[in-house]
Amino acid sequence: MDFSFSTITHNLPYLLAAARWTLIISFAGMLVGLGLGILVCAARLSRHRWLSSFAALYVSFFRGVPLLVQLLAFFYILPYAGIDLPATVAAFLSIGMCSAAYNAEILRGSLQAIPAGQKEAADALGIAPFALWRRILVPQALRIGLPSHVNELILLVKVSSLASVVGIGELTRVAQNITGQTYRPLEIYLAAACVYFVINAILAYAGRMAERRLNVGGA
Amino acid sequence: MPDTATSAESIITVRGLGKRYGDFQALTGVDLDVRKSEVTCLIGPSGSGKSTLLRCMNFLEAYEEGEVRLDGELIGWQEGSSGPRRPLPGRRLREQRRHIGMVFQQFNLWPHMSALENVAEALVQVQGMTKAEANGRAMAALEKVNLKDKAGNYPSALSGGQQQRVAIARAIAMEPRVILFDEPTSALDPELVGEVLNVMKAMATEGMTMVVVTHEMGFAAHVASRVAFLDHGRLVACVPPPEIFGADPADPRIRSFLQTYRERNVV
Amino acid sequence: MELDLFVRYGPALLHGFGITILCWIAGSLGGMALGFLIACIYQWSGRWIRGLLQAYIEIVRGTPFMIQLFILYYGGPHFGLLLSPVEAGIAGFVVYGSPYFAEIFRAGFASTPKGQFEAARCMGFSEWTIVRRIVLPQMLVSITAPLTNFVIILTKETAILSVVTVPELLYETQTMAAETFTYVEPFLVLSLFYWAMVEFTSWLGRRVELRVTRHLRRA
Ligand SMILES: Nc1ncnc2c1ncn2[C@@H]1O[C@H](COP(=O)(O)OP(=O)(O)OP(=O)(O)O)[C@@H](O)[C@H]1O
Ligand SMILES: [Mg+2]
Repeated sequence: MDFSFSTITHNLPYLLAAARWTLIISFAGMLVGLGLGILVCAARLSRHRWLSSFAALYVSFFRGVPLLVQLLAFFYILPYAGIDLPATVAAFLSIGMCSAAYNAEILRGSLQAIPAGQKEAADALGIAPFALWRRILVPQALRIGLPSHVNELILLVKVSSLASVVGIGELTRVAQNITGQTYRPLEIYLAAACVYFVINAILAYAGRMAERRLNVGGA
Repeated sequence: MPDTATSAESIITVRGLGKRYGDFQALTGVDLDVRKSEVTCLIGPSGSGKSTLLRCMNFLEAYEEGEVRLDGELIGWQEGSSGPRRPLPGRRLREQRRHIGMVFQQFNLWPHMSALENVAEALVQVQGMTKAEANGRAMAALEKVNLKDKAGNYPSALSGGQQQRVAIARAIAMEPRVILFDEPTSALDPELVGEVLNVMKAMATEGMTMVVVTHEMGFAAHVASRVAFLDHGRLVACVPPPEIFGADPADPRIRSFLQTYRERNVV
Repeated sequence: MELDLFVRYGPALLHGFGITILCWIAGSLGGMALGFLIACIYQWSGRWIRGLLQAYIEIVRGTPFMIQLFILYYGGPHFGLLLSPVEAGIAGFVVYGSPYFAEIFRAGFASTPKGQFEAARCMGFSEWTIVRRIVLPQMLVSITAPLTNFVIILTKETAILSVVTVPELLYETQTMAAETFTYVEPFLVLSLFYWAMVEFTSWLGRRVELRVTRHLRRA
């Protein structure tokens, strides 16, 4: 067995450049996932029966179907429906739609941890339901659920590798391309794994720091 | 063979026992003889090392200095001439521990097994009995602690006193040469203490060798053959109860220790 | 909906389904076994070995499954590991799942009170007997839910095996789609199929959990 470090050092710049797309897809996916997740969660907790069952169905479906299948279906259905989107946008939209299901569930759990008295206090002050959600409940819930949301983001960094299947030049795809030229799969994929690992380690660390700061400031 | 002159009638001999936790010296130079068919009570202030001493006796804590012998056999360490001691291989240690029963403050029953299963488990797994044999022996042990009718109960469906009696039955069933008790009644409601102490008294009458760490001074005074007093990891005295609970104990440390009990009218 | 399409490709799809199930079951069982082994070694070893195991856990959890598969399947031959796609798929599952399973078992060990070990030790139980008779039956209560949870996640990860040409369900569906130029229907059906599989597995998991806890609750 021969292991070629020079292959890694030669190609590392390309991998790092591609990692930018990994980050873009996963962060954009997280934003979509959070925004949509808040809506789904609100629908889930809504008093309207059909709204809450639709949200339940949404969560169950997007958590029950492999993301790769969702992604492929999304890419096949878009042109069929006559919608023309850049591939990258389609990718993070699809990832975000899936992530919304998970974020909605995390939020729902966090909301339950907020003492009921706060809602009553807001009611007593005559605060409207929407303002109650926007100003009081959601910010607190996001804070309570921070570790889980960070976890979700780390998960998205990993699943963004699926975007390679639909031809987006993120880290995994570029690693595949380089492998095609160099015939050094072991070195290249190990290097790519390292890049993923470093990204996730940094995210996990940042998450812990944020958590600590919030704990000191709040509560 | 080691020197057995002093241990003619003693089952456990402790010599020069020292144990440290990091920088903290928990036990220093402890000498103790546990004699056959006697009850030896260990008393002393909290943190004086009673539990540590007891747990060294079956090597739940590995002691560094001195030795603990069961019928002349060194516990936990390989019998060696020089150099650093090496611990016994697991199989030999397990063989030794079969002969030393132990009863814990927190009972430590296995919650997923009924009372009978708790008692029978080791008979099957360690002594290699058949299930039928083991159940027979376990039932007899439960009868000794007056819990025959609760054999099918899970620990969660037993009172604290009953749980502790099952734990005692579990120890008895192994037919050990000695049973160690670490504050067996401290976790119990006051009205349940009596039933456990009565069982222990009955065992003493039948000639079971017992070492009991306890805060029940009444039990120490009336049931023990010898009472050992520990203070700051040292054995201050190991004498018949009257010399400690009598009119005026010699050592000031014992006096002040007992004073706290006298004030509460316990003795 | 073109039904005759599904009739024509029925056998291939069924075969793909069989491969999916095979990889899923073999991978789950293997991952569980390896995870259990890791948790056991962790429980009974010193700082150095614990550090190594922790590093393994962090690295595998910090990298995408797809990259791990590529390393095994394409990089494997470079260190003398020649695997067929299915073998690589199963091996990939075992590696990918092991740290998650290990963490579940480790939490199980940690949740068993120390006194339970001591009581057994001082009656002369061997460590293996303690694990088998005392620890495992008790931790079954607390680990069944997370175990099923992760097995369900693995159900969905089987789709990723298609990228290393494991002829599983998604792969066969893609083949069918490419050969017949129909995309939307097959992927909708496929989604429903995975969804049903996941729902069924979680239903099964809840049944198992009830069984396990009922046995222990019996007073
Ligand atoms: N695992 C440990 N690590 C460090 N120190 C310990 C440990 N176990 C016990 N000690 C210390 O050793 C000393 C003796 O403890 P031990 O439990 O033997 O006391 P004790 O006489 O049984 O007290 P009590 O009556 O409260 O049970 C205490 O000061 C305790 O803090
Ligand atoms: Mg103690």
